[in-house]
Amino acid sequence: MTIPDGFPLSAARLLRRHAGWLGIAPLAALLVIAFAVPVVSLLRLSFGEAGFTLEHFVRIATVPLYRSVLLTTLTISVLTTLLCVVMSYPVAYLMATVGPRMRAALIVVVLLPFWTSSLVRTTAWIVILQGNGILNRLLMGIGLTSEPVAFVYNLSGVLIGMTHVLMPFVVLPLYAALRGLDLSTVQAAEGLGARPATVFFRIVVPLTAPGAVAGATIVFMNALGFYITPALMGGPAQTMISQMIADNVGRQLDWGFAAALSTVLLGATLVLFVLFQRVFGLDRLFAGGGGTKSGEPFRLTSRGRTAGGLFGAVMGFAVAVFLIAPILVVFPMSLGSSPFLAFPPTDLSFKWYVSFFENSKWVGALVRSLEVAAVTVAGAVVLGTAAAIGLDRIGPRWRRVLETVFVLPMIAPVIILAVGLYYLFAPVGLVASIWGLAIGHTVLAAPYVFITVRAALKTFDPNLELAAIGLGAPWGTMARRILVPVILPGILAGAVFAFITSFDDVILALFLTNIRTRTLPKLMYEGVAHEIDPTIIAAAGLIILVTVLVLALDLVLTRKRS
Amino acid sequence: MSPLPLGKPVAVRGLRKIYGGVVAALDGIDLDIAPGSFCTLLGASGSGKTTLLKALAGFETADAGEIRVDGRDIGPVPVAKRNIGMVFQNYALFPHLTVHRNVAFGLEMRRVGRAEIAARVEAALALVGLDAHGGRLPRELSGGQQQRVALARALVIEPDILLMDEPLGALDKNLRQSIQIQLRALHRRIGATTVYVTHDQEEALFLSDTIALMDRGRIVQVGAPEDLWFRPANRFVASFLGECNFLPAPSGPGEIGLRPEKTLVGVRAEAAEIRLDGVLGAAVFTGTGYRVTATVAGRELTALTGNDDPVARLAPGSAVTVGYHPTNAMSFADTDR
Repeated sequence: MTIPDGFPLSAARLLRRHAGWLGIAPLAALLVIAFAVPVVSLLRLSFGEAGFTLEHFVRIATVPLYRSVLLTTLTISVLTTLLCVVMSYPVAYLMATVGPRMRAALIVVVLLPFWTSSLVRTTAWIVILQGNGILNRLLMGIGLTSEPVAFVYNLSGVLIGMTHVLMPFVVLPLYAALRGLDLSTVQAAEGLGARPATVFFRIVVPLTAPGAVAGATIVFMNALGFYITPALMGGPAQTMISQMIADNVGRQLDWGFAAALSTVLLGATLVLFVLFQRVFGLDRLFAGGGGTKSGEPFRLTSRGRTAGGLFGAVMGFAVAVFLIAPILVVFPMSLGSSPFLAFPPTDLSFKWYVSFFENSKWVGALVRSLEVAAVTVAGAVVLGTAAAIGLDRIGPRWRRVLETVFVLPMIAPVIILAVGLYYLFAPVGLVASIWGLAIGHTVLAAPYVFITVRAALKTFDPNLELAAIGLGAPWGTMARRILVPVILPGILAGAVFAFITSFDDVILALFLTNIRTRTLPKLMYEGVAHEIDPTIIAAAGLIILVTVLVLALDLVLTRKRS
Repeated sequence: MSPLPLGKPVAVRGLRKIYGGVVAALDGIDLDIAPGSFCTLLGASGSGKTTLLKALAGFETADAGEIRVDGRDIGPVPVAKRNIGMVFQNYALFPHLTVHRNVAFGLEMRRVGRAEIAARVEAALALVGLDAHGGRLPRELSGGQQQRVALARALVIEPDILLMDEPLGALDKNLRQSIQIQLRALHRRIGATTVYVTHDQEEALFLSDTIALMDRGRIVQVGAPEDLWFRPANRFVASFLGECNFLPAPSGPGEIGLRPEKTLVGVRAEAAEIRLDGVLGAAVFTGTGYRVTATVAGRELTALTGNDDPVARLAPGSAVTVGYHPTNAMSFADTDR
């Protein structure tokens, strides 16, 4: 391009042509410094600190203990995935065949575990499932068993805990696929003489399989890197690869070996991610996706449920109870006064909340959690929104690359980021302040904001921008008065995600805080790992309250706008 | 495929279906369908024709009344055991199965032997002219071909009744006409009792042995196409099927209906037995003739006339004679609609 003489504007023109990069740069910089650098430095260690070696990988492949951990990780992930798929069908079916109000309630029930801190969930499950827990006392009370059944600290505990939180990934795409199913396709099969079970296995399953497989891939990918649930709800035989990584960093101090394990875990996760992207496309990860049929969506007709349908609905209801049980148990329990975790509570008392607030250890941790969350929300909202807006203003080839790169922190197992950041931050003292943790949380949370704002931008008509600028508004004014108000719901949703990501995180906190900077979830983790006392239940109740308040605030703000 | 044993008779008695406690989708339906005949449920959307079809198929339950097939009440019979062939409006082919597997599905459900399934599917596909397409997936076929697969799938099970829900609605006009001809020939050949839903009156006239004209959940008139055309029960029937002019009855109360092709204007009206004074509106050339409008006693009438009729040369606004033969006038029992 030639610039005419006496036209000294190239700087301004250059800026306008590359304005998109201005928005993208901050998030890109953060992800390079606080994601790529720590993860790559960690992975490099797996090939030896001085000179190239594969000895760590050889050890993983040959030592029986490590091979069995890999096998355990694989087995637990496969079982969890299968359970998620099998249990999701009845819930998705129930959701598709009830009235709109009941459906809304079911969606809340399905998403609730998702929104609940992993520690609250784990705590609640232990309280329900342990030897003298609620379930065992119920079973012994009605005489089904004379001795407590071991539900927890073994394989069943891990599977219950992991299936509980990972199920939404299958239920939602499956529900979308069921709704995309043409009602007349099902009726045609019935009319041709197919009984309910035949309709299910020969028509419904093949036609909804893409949705189920998409969900199952995400579940499997997530399950591989699970840390908190197997650590707290499993026994020694359920040690998964993430625990092995943490153990090698924390106790064995064998960084090279931990790095090699991380390489294996990250490699497996990335292979699955690439496969998923090839087969289903990235949009599926966030949208669920469904059929594109023109006919009437699958629903219940006036004929009512068949025997098979009734069975499905009852199973769906049972799974819904499973999903909501921890919340239903833990909150009322925190309001009792008994020191023995009675359910249902015999009286109403704020005793354990008082004890929580009288203890500086707990209050300090709560305040620190809120501080970290505030920094994280601010950072993630600014960086994520700027990057999302910037992305629309760069070339399509880069856009596609960055769209994938920016979601990598959501895909990579958190334990790898935690260990990598620890490796990077510990020498420079960032672990002793809240900033190290806040940076880590921002890396995790900014992609959420990026995605929700990207989704909101899809509804933003670019002509609005042109109209405003055509009416004489500078770009900044246009952004403030037109663009941001239109995409505000997306920004708010991202902020809520960011808050909850930070407020609920345990894994980063385990590595990036010390006894003076620990957050509420870390303090709870230390307690749950030893013994659950009622103050922990009160802390869990508080976390639920804060989460519900944030979600309610988001709901009110979004309602008000629409 | 061997011709079906003659289809079963269908009797509907007092069938009612209420939606949301107020709207009567079916408001007391009585209908007899002779074995092997082709019965069309004709009506505008919301008239209840599709609801009646779905009740026959078993996809909706009625609130009252009964449906008898061959004398047996099928109310309590589940859909899967009704032995009914259904062709859906959007065909509802199983998208993940080939044409052959789609057609074989109903036979597999009936545990027919593998060799027999192969032979019957082959015959059914040959019947609709698709024997070369068995290995294709539905999405690889044109709309008309998909429609024929749906028909083969419904027929191959040798159903007691064949139900069709606006099966030609999604096709373009030329294709629709050619399939209508095939459908008519096919029905003559296999003789299944057929219930056909459409809102298209020409389609109904062309295909049916019996037409049941529906409006607001009721059957307004049922009979052979000629009955409904020449002896409509009321104004609604007369104007739903074809065009109709309405004039006061020459003697007594009420009014008569007159088809445009039986309405005479100008010179040709002079010889008519009944003659009225009118004013010519316009004469529009339609190729085969003229569409002439005229006003008689404040009522606008339409007449269809040949393309050699001199009335077309008259200036609009001229006084003309309008006439008809009393044998062509249709009288209605009720005049309220």
